[in-house]
Amino acid sequence: MTATPTTPTSPAPAPAPPAAGPGSRSARARRRLNSGLVLVLMVIVAIVMLYPFYYLLDNAFRNQTQFDRQHGHSAAGWTQLFQSLPVGSELLNSTIVCAAAIVIILIVATTAGFAFAKLRYRGSGLVFLFVVAALMVPLQSIIIPEYVNLAKFHLISSYTGAVLVYAALGAPFATFLMATYYRGISDELIEAAVMDGLSYERTFLQIALPLSLPAIATVTVLQFIQIWDDLLVGLLFLPTNDRTITVGVAALSSGRTTSIPALMAGSLISAVPAILVYLIFQRHLVKGLTLGMGK
Amino acid sequence: MSHSRLARRRRRAGILLSLPAVALVTALLGVPIGQAVYYSMTSWNGITSTWIGPSTYSVALHDPIFWRVLENNGLLLLAIPFAIGIPLCVAALLNEHVRGWRFFRSVYFLPTAVSWVVIGMVALQFFAADGILNKLLADVGLGTSATDMLAGQHSALAALAITFIWSMLGTNTIIFLTGMATLDPTLIEAARVDGLARRQIFFRVTLPLLTRFIQFAFVITVISAFSALFSLIFVMTGGGPGLGTTTLEFFVYQSGFAQGQFGTGALYGIVLFVIMIIVGLVQLRLIKPADEEGR
Repeated sequence: MTATPTTPTSPAPAPAPPAAGPGSRSARARRRLNSGLVLVLMVIVAIVMLYPFYYLLDNAFRNQTQFDRQHGHSAAGWTQLFQSLPVGSELLNSTIVCAAAIVIILIVATTAGFAFAKLRYRGSGLVFLFVVAALMVPLQSIIIPEYVNLAKFHLISSYTGAVLVYAALGAPFATFLMATYYRGISDELIEAAVMDGLSYERTFLQIALPLSLPAIATVTVLQFIQIWDDLLVGLLFLPTNDRTITVGVAALSSGRTTSIPALMAGSLISAVPAILVYLIFQRHLVKGLTLGMGK
Repeated sequence: MSHSRLARRRRRAGILLSLPAVALVTALLGVPIGQAVYYSMTSWNGITSTWIGPSTYSVALHDPIFWRVLENNGLLLLAIPFAIGIPLCVAALLNEHVRGWRFFRSVYFLPTAVSWVVIGMVALQFFAADGILNKLLADVGLGTSATDMLAGQHSALAALAITFIWSMLGTNTIIFLTGMATLDPTLIEAARVDGLARRQIFFRVTLPLLTRFIQFAFVITVISAFSALFSLIFVMTGGGPGLGTTTLEFFVYQSGFAQGQFGTGALYGIVLFVIMIIVGLVQLRLIKPADEEGR
């Protein structure tokens, strides 16, 4: 939809005086003034939203003195960052943890979503409700027993514990999303495949799964951003030398000994992958959010 | 193949495919919430726990710290009208569909991809005594009203709330924009023909039709305010000064992992969980009637 001043939702001057009909010059002038005003307001909001990113970029390229004076640029922020934080390996840790958790989420959410949508059995509605209700459990409410349990099973000395927790936290919403999507596939299609001699499991793998690629993309993008950006789980459940970049940067800031430009550089580098994913896949992100509205 | 055999196979496949999700959610979310309820009634340092009973809750209710922490959660609610009202206006601006509105939509939604850690890092520089805010105030000749917001208990919470409002802008704007796209343009056209001013159309026609979306945004915003701000608090204030910015979710972390009082931490986690259930039930009640109406 292209924006033209004649779309029904476009601004129009309220109670128009008789002389100024819709096509008259003054009405058009006023309409142009109106969209000019809207544009100005939108630019102001954009500045408020973008300023922090500019600030990060500007101040990452300074040393502490240059920062204090807010004058002059250098690579000092970056050099100090790389001295005090294993940036490369932490970026790798983030990638591994995200990938592993997303794979688990996708496996359990596609299978369960398909089962709840197409292979209903007695009580499956209740089981679905149980899985989705887990959405309401705030991480903080279970974090203490979770920590003790994972420690007991020796899962917090590697990626495993954090990956499992991320997977469990992401699974309820992902299952809900996949079930919603599979409900949109016609029953006849599934039954026809079964009549042709496919097992239900094969029907899922060969028919339903390929059809649900858009929903899978949405889940992947949503979860990637969520897990990449998380602090609490990583802080508690990852060993200190296997930290993700977000946890690493947060830990660096709580040390209070690092220069601010180094922190800005760290923030920037930790934010870039998620921002890139957002820019490339923003359609999927928006879709996930609106699907959450139960639409 | 007989019909009943097919039904049996279907049921078996349904149970099999939903099993992994159920197992994951049960083991890592269901069991720990049960344990948290149990441990909330014990005195527990992570290794040995002594059963005390439900009286732990009445002890907490008489603890001034509990009420101080809960007060912070209550005060955070004051941010909700802004976190909803401002995005409503921004969505109305975008909905004018002035040339380039899609670009602005992407810009406004961008912070959604950025971690609370990074947002907190910049917010810290914004509110610092020699930070951006005070420089801005000085630039417009208000240098005398310069404040160190993070040094006062209530002002630090206000700084946190402002950062929160900024972060929620994208999400809530998208929700309202989606809502506005579902509106029937002929209704607005009719109101305009009836001679209603634009502001009147917004308040009397658009707003009532958006009720469902406003409710959804409200629930998302409350849930975020109560259970998604850990990282922001961790980076910006560490819960202080004093207990100034310690909300329930942060107190769980503090008492469990900083003070080793796992029982107390579990109890506060359960209080948070109960609040979330109440919010969730409100959401169910709000969304159900709208769904029936829509189908």
